[in-house]
Amino acid sequence: MAIELTMVRMKVAILRHSWKGAQAGLVATGATGGVLLAAGTIYLGGWDADLFGAACAIWMLGWILGPVVAGGGDETLRPEYFTLLGLRPRRLATGLLTAAFIGVAPLISLLALSGLVVAGARLGPAAVLTALPAMVLQVAVFVLLSKVAVAVMGIALRSRVGAVGAGLINGAILAALGQCWVFVMAFGGSGGIPAGLVRALPSGWGLAAVEAAGSGDGMGAAAALARMAALIVVLLVAWAALLTRRTGYAQASARDRRPMRATTREGGVVSKELRTWSRDLLRTHQLTFSLAYGLTFGAAPLVLGWDGMLAWAGPIFVTMATAMSANLYGADGTALWLTLMTPGASDVRGRQLAWLLTVGPVALVLTAVLTALAGASWPLLLATVVALTGGGAGLVPLVSVYALVPGSDPHRRTGNPLRVGEDGAAVGLVYGMLLLSVLTAAPAVLVALWSGWAGVAAGLVTGGLCYWGFGRLAERRLRTHGPELLEIMRTGRRPSGGMSFKMPDLPQPQKTIVTICLTLGAIPLFPQGILAGMFLANGSSVKSWFLALYMPPGLRWPTAVFMMLLGLSMYGAGVWIPLRLRRRLAREAAPAPAPLPGA
Amino acid sequence: MTAALEISGLTKTFGEKVAVDHIDLTVPQGSFYGLVGQNGAGKTTTLSMAVGLLRPDAGGASIFGADVWKDPEHAKTLVGVLPDGLAMPERLTGREVLTYLGLMRGLAPEVVAERAGELLAVLELDRAEQTLVIEYSTGMRKKIGLATALLHGPRLLVLDEPFEAVDPVSAATIKTILRGFVAGGGSIVLSSHVMALVEQLCDQVAVIDKGRVTAAGPIDEVRGDVTLEDRFVQLVGSTGGAVKELSWLSN
Repeated sequence: MAIELTMVRMKVAILRHSWKGAQAGLVATGATGGVLLAAGTIYLGGWDADLFGAACAIWMLGWILGPVVAGGGDETLRPEYFTLLGLRPRRLATGLLTAAFIGVAPLISLLALSGLVVAGARLGPAAVLTALPAMVLQVAVFVLLSKVAVAVMGIALRSRVGAVGAGLINGAILAALGQCWVFVMAFGGSGGIPAGLVRALPSGWGLAAVEAAGSGDGMGAAAALARMAALIVVLLVAWAALLTRRTGYAQASARDRRPMRATTREGGVVSKELRTWSRDLLRTHQLTFSLAYGLTFGAAPLVLGWDGMLAWAGPIFVTMATAMSANLYGADGTALWLTLMTPGASDVRGRQLAWLLTVGPVALVLTAVLTALAGASWPLLLATVVALTGGGAGLVPLVSVYALVPGSDPHRRTGNPLRVGEDGAAVGLVYGMLLLSVLTAAPAVLVALWSGWAGVAAGLVTGGLCYWGFGRLAERRLRTHGPELLEIMRTGRRPSGGMSFKMPDLPQPQKTIVTICLTLGAIPLFPQGILAGMFLANGSSVKSWFLALYMPPGLRWPTAVFMMLLGLSMYGAGVWIPLRLRRRLAREAAPAPAPLPGA
Repeated sequence: MTAALEISGLTKTFGEKVAVDHIDLTVPQGSFYGLVGQNGAGKTTTLSMAVGLLRPDAGGASIFGADVWKDPEHAKTLVGVLPDGLAMPERLTGREVLTYLGLMRGLAPEVVAERAGELLAVLELDRAEQTLVIEYSTGMRKKIGLATALLHGPRLLVLDEPFEAVDPVSAATIKTILRGFVAGGGSIVLSSHVMALVEQLCDQVAVIDKGRVTAAGPIDEVRGDVTLEDRFVQLVGSTGGAVKELSWLSN
């Protein structure tokens, strides 16, 4: 056990050093969210075994796909650290696995799986006793599945074929998960959870063991536990084998070496970016992932014979692609120094154009073809896709300079090509970006719903404004805060003072207002506003929980619009109040020692 | 005559640690200036602040009289920089990196093509025409970095550890290029902890220890009648002369 214990101590030491300042805040925020989810899972454990089983399946998919979507999973201890020790692969894998249990995510999963004990409590003492080992084995299964998935991806991303294949599969799985209600309705008949399937998945074996023990079937319980133990052994052996095959960075594709023909500054940046988009297999993966996600999400309801979502594959693709490239500057690492040292370079505009050229044509073709196939509303779809594409081209540079997530430089990314960010911030960035992307399309969608083709014009206007305005903001930020951004990338830490993302300390009543606005703003905006608007536009008779649909006909649209405005102003207030205070504080503070050029 | 690089009162603190503590340096025009110091003495931090890659807590720097922070556009056209260990546009080939940067600098496309070809040939990178920078070895990375620093014909070169991991043949080539640059009126600042190299190349030297300048001036004055290495150990050595041995290895 010596190696295992040493690795555990090493990991504890690293975590202790890294959870400081802003980092600790991020971890705490993530952990709070995780604990809430875990509490929900435990509650399900005491309430409905089928639902609890389904929740376990979602936890498992989260473990498998989370690292793929963002960040590459927990790599506090990297296999490379131990290469020169001459450990046998299995010994190394066991050690790394033991250390992998130390951390926030495994602890929260363990907490969630204590729902097994709750479920067991209803079935008797034998079930509770079985639940204890089942919980631990189940977490081990999750952690190992995650490790194996990351290792397989690492190997897939060594070739273009692998990157494309992995992107397609991951995108399809994640989208199918998002649309699982479709499959439940199609295959579940009564609309319930498929009880057999939930227990047949590895995520349900713990539940199966507990239930068997509860019904007095000791052999069945033992068999389920043994199955988990066997899976753990198999996964461990597989992971150990994969670890020996782990090599350097995501390799570049060998083809495509046409000479650079650009003749202008901006042209130079565009050629550089276009080459990076086509040669960096991580970016290839992001794009195919987004494409597969959009297509699967849009096509899934075809299972029910409903093609109303098919044409939306294009807009969904754009939103996903926007979210996946949210850390554009972070992914290039310290190469930023060249931009800083080159006076008059318009790096942002070139990157925007390259992003547009990469995503735009695919989005337009996809939308046009599917809109024709599904017979959907041309103005609505075109307006949405145009607004989203322009919005994305503006948001990507803006978000990536304002919320930069530092990571390893491309040439230092060892073994795990998915690894870009060092913390969960990369995941947060992806989710935040999804939201922002949708917001940029809202005006055009509304106009299109009201007056058809005018929406496309509105989409062109808002898209153009986002492209121009956000790009300008990003460029200014890069000019005034370039050295700070470079320092973040170089050290992986945010510099003290000068550029903190922390909100200033607000007086308590204002803090409460800001918290309420930011956490609850989504409810009036999305379900009560935009979704309700979409239902209204489609003439749907389902009232569900949309307030607008319960109103007398004349008040329905005004209610939906009011809700949207309410949501927007809640977000606005949530952002504006702290910003105002920060500006006031900045004015009161002494002038900075080195004046910012152009600030 | 204005100095090629004038550093005055540069200071930088990372958390509790004072990395650079009020450093003043003057690099005269036409000089080959060596910056020596132990690991962590503050060489890289000083050079980063001097060229505008890191914002100082206090103090400033000017290149041929152009303030790096107040007039960056002007200052940055006069200087070529080779930082240590920073990334490049990794998915481009060497020629593409130079083309891209030349265009960003506003050079005419045919000038870019001509200079890029010459730089690649002289630095012997033209054999790796199809190789992306991410696949370069450490020495090749240094060489392409140097090429990017030279591309726009700067009057001052600021080079952080330019010879690290470079093979002897390439090092000889680089030395020839740098000497030619100084002979043609250019100025160079380079950091290194290889004393022999600094003695061989530089005419001026500054010794940095714990974020401060402990000695600076013409190399003969700084080293006196001993070698630069001995003088350096005298200046920064904290152990009082006796070099410690590893007990379990020497027995």
